[in-house]
Amino acid sequence: MKRLVESSGVEVAFREVDVVTTGTFGAMCSSGAIINVGHSDPPIKIENAWINDVPISHPGAAVDLYIGATAMSERQPFEYGGGHVIEDLVSGKEVELKATSYGTDCYPRAHVKTRLTKDDLNQFYLLNFRNCYQRYNCAVNGRDETIYTYMGKLLPRLRNATFSGAGELNPLMNDPDYETIGIGTRIFLGGAQGYVIGEGTQHDPQNRFGTIMVRGDATKMSPEFLRGASFTRYGTTLYVGLGIPIPILNEGLAKKTAIRDEEIFTSVVDYGVPRKDRPKLAQVSYKELKSGKITVGDKRIRVSSLSSLKTARKIAGTLKSWIAQGEFFLTAPVERLPVDSVFKPMRQTEETPFVANVMQEAVTCSESEAVQAIAERIVTRSVNHIVVVDGNGKLTGIVTSWDITRALAQGKTALADIVTRRVITAKLNEPLETASKRMAQHNISALPVIDNEKKVLGIVTAEDVSKLLGR
Amino acid sequence: MVRILLRFSENIVEKPITSQIILELRVPINIITAHVDSKGGEVLAEVPDESLVKVVKAFRERGATVSIPKLIEIDSEKCISCGACLTLCPVEAITMDEDASVVFNQEKCLGSTCSACVDACPSRAIKSVKQNNSELTANKAH
Repeated sequence: MKRLVESSGVEVAFREVDVVTTGTFGAMCSSGAIINVGHSDPPIKIENAWINDVPISHPGAAVDLYIGATAMSERQPFEYGGGHVIEDLVSGKEVELKATSYGTDCYPRAHVKTRLTKDDLNQFYLLNFRNCYQRYNCAVNGRDETIYTYMGKLLPRLRNATFSGAGELNPLMNDPDYETIGIGTRIFLGGAQGYVIGEGTQHDPQNRFGTIMVRGDATKMSPEFLRGASFTRYGTTLYVGLGIPIPILNEGLAKKTAIRDEEIFTSVVDYGVPRKDRPKLAQVSYKELKSGKITVGDKRIRVSSLSSLKTARKIAGTLKSWIAQGEFFLTAPVERLPVDSVFKPMRQTEETPFVANVMQEAVTCSESEAVQAIAERIVTRSVNHIVVVDGNGKLTGIVTSWDITRALAQGKTALADIVTRRVITAKLNEPLETASKRMAQHNISALPVIDNEKKVLGIVTAEDVSKLLGR
Repeated sequence: MVRILLRFSENIVEKPITSQIILELRVPINIITAHVDSKGGEVLAEVPDESLVKVVKAFRERGATVSIPKLIEIDSEKCISCGACLTLCPVEAITMDEDASVVFNQEKCLGSTCSACVDACPSRAIKSVKQNNSELTANKAH
């Protein structure tokens, strides 16, 4: 379609093309499966359940369970989770179910342990409440340390970037006004046929962050298009293969489905900032993202995908051949996806403390001062930390009362011999909780607060934190 | 070729050990990475399979510590060609070809001395594995 519109125009394309197929294969954390395991004898009203040591939710009556993709194994957390359980079941593997209950007159059993395959289940439906993001952020990390996120491993100081999504192949991007997509739209889901059952949670159409809720018979699905995955230090998830056929009902849809990667833009976002609204550093197109390098300011950054374009193409191709062979019939939606809903943040009734709320004035010294003078300042100002600054007030090191005590014991008099140069710092708008966590992690009791130019703004101490957070 | 990891302590780092061995044994030793300062050195080098035993022996005789780092392997069954590993590789040993498949060039890879890609793989398709049989032979060459 994209080439045809370019070479022959929208009119010709509208006449010649009936359907445009799309596809995407990425990590979709808001995925899971509903299963019914049947009744045991004597019966049990399951209260807590585990499959292969992964905790399973029990949203319904006695034996209905929901396997959430991000629930993690108690024995191998971060490596095996709900996504893997779903993949194993889909692959035909046997899994171990353990369940406990309090026992009732009608459901007397308190424990059950058994092994199951998908053939033993009454229902096994993939039921995903948010899938198929129209587009997604490109992630970088402005911090001085590597971070591990749901956007993968991000190297310090913007040394790499990651993105997700199929760009011009994405289903919702090809029908951005949801003219053909809504409740009842038949789709490719996990290698079988599934359905859209409504808009996904956090559906945000006005910002082009639309999502869908989907359901499909998992017993017919394939592990090629449904893969459990592990994101180090973030957790487990499920890669979901999803494709939607877009019928070309009018010239407008011919034009819309001709969308190109260079027309789809997204923001480069600093995931190093631990806030809901993270700073956006640049705008990039999916064409740049797929080229492997993006530009942020004067920096060229290597970027890689977290979703699989190869599998996305395969999905669009498979869907095309199903339709051509008469194995897949398109449906008109019973109700279209909303185009005007809003994604609200959480209403918070309690204040969240930030570094700025507890920061105190930092007691400083210059590089040229003697240990004796610094020791005196510690006593007169009754503090434990002296921040070392240069002539412009920029951070160059830190000295603690313990450093001074040790210097006296060892007869050292020069600041240069005792100063710590690799200083762990905090930012003004950082949540107190993450600053406090960093102190515990490095086993230290204070963090100088600095701005982006390393200018010292103050200091936050463990003592002040515990006063406020009450621990 | 087999990769070996050489460590030189403070006492011997000043000596031209690698050059001496190349000249003496007439073996091409290819240096992949090297971090050397006055306190010691760590060198990742590649030597021909057939010379491995004598090269390892020669380095050990001169006081260097020799270990054989594991290789990185990508399990093509598990790999979904997402590409999450690409930007973590410092030597661009992992690339993506025209049809969006991930391609791994083991010749360029730094092996388990680097391993930056391993914990970035969502499908856990990347593993450190032992090098071929020559490891066993080399470990006997004390």
